[in-house]
Amino acid sequence: MASNHKHPENDVAWFIVGDKLAIITTEGTDSTSVHSKSGDWKAIDEAVTDGVLIHYYAEPNTVDELSDYPDIDNAMHANIVDYVKSKLYIDRAGSSADPNASGTAMNLSMLHEKQWKDALVKFGTRRRDKIGGLRAVRTFDLR
Amino acid sequence: MAVRRLTVKNIISRVRQTFPEAPETYLYNLINDALLEAGLYRTKVEYAKATTVKDQMWYDISDTGSSVDINKVFRVDFMDSAGDYIKIPRMLDGEILKMDIT
Repeated sequence: MASNHKHPENDVAWFIVGDKLAIITTEGTDSTSVHSKSGDWKAIDEAVTDGVLIHYYAEPNTVDELSDYPDIDNAMHANIVDYVKSKLYIDRAGSSADPNASGTAMNLSMLHEKQWKDALVKFGTRRRDKIGGLRAVRTFDLR
Repeated sequence: MAVRRLTVKNIISRVRQTFPEAPETYLYNLINDALLEAGLYRTKVEYAKATTVKDQMWYDISDTGSSVDINKVFRVDFMDSAGDYIKIPRMLDGEILKMDIT
């Protein structure tokens, strides 16, 4: 069932507080009410099946089989090894009785963590970005 | 040409070059921790539909209360009278005069 809003871009809006999405509208016909007149923001005024389409950044699916592929871009797959090794080296550093071995494990942990962070944060956008081709730079015309 | 991807088995075998004794369950947990952290950096875009209820302002988008795992909402569309989804604006401050708790 379609909505009765002919131009929802003009009279419906959204905002988020915590884990709740608010859908509000200025539509309304109750001209005698104090704060629910047409033009006042209020709760959405109709039931519409699948009336809202939400676009969002999602959490990747977890893996639980050896044959599973990690649910992120394949450019990031090898870096998961860095994440796992960084945690295992921390475990080794914490459990080793030899201070030298512990220090070496800590350094290797930081090395792998840096590689993971660089891949994810520093170069992550470039890896995930699907936009290609030349990027033109247009200078100002100073004449 | 095949796309180069690593399975969980490939990842575990690479880790076991250095840590041959690492328990498999623990490695699964660490791989899933890595995926959870990767999800914080906008790696996966998804869409979901929701049904509105007359005079209901709030809709649950928590991981436990909804059927989807939403990290960040970046756009919301509302169905118009022709059945098409039209982008609706986000109210920046959310400070509307008449607030509802339902």
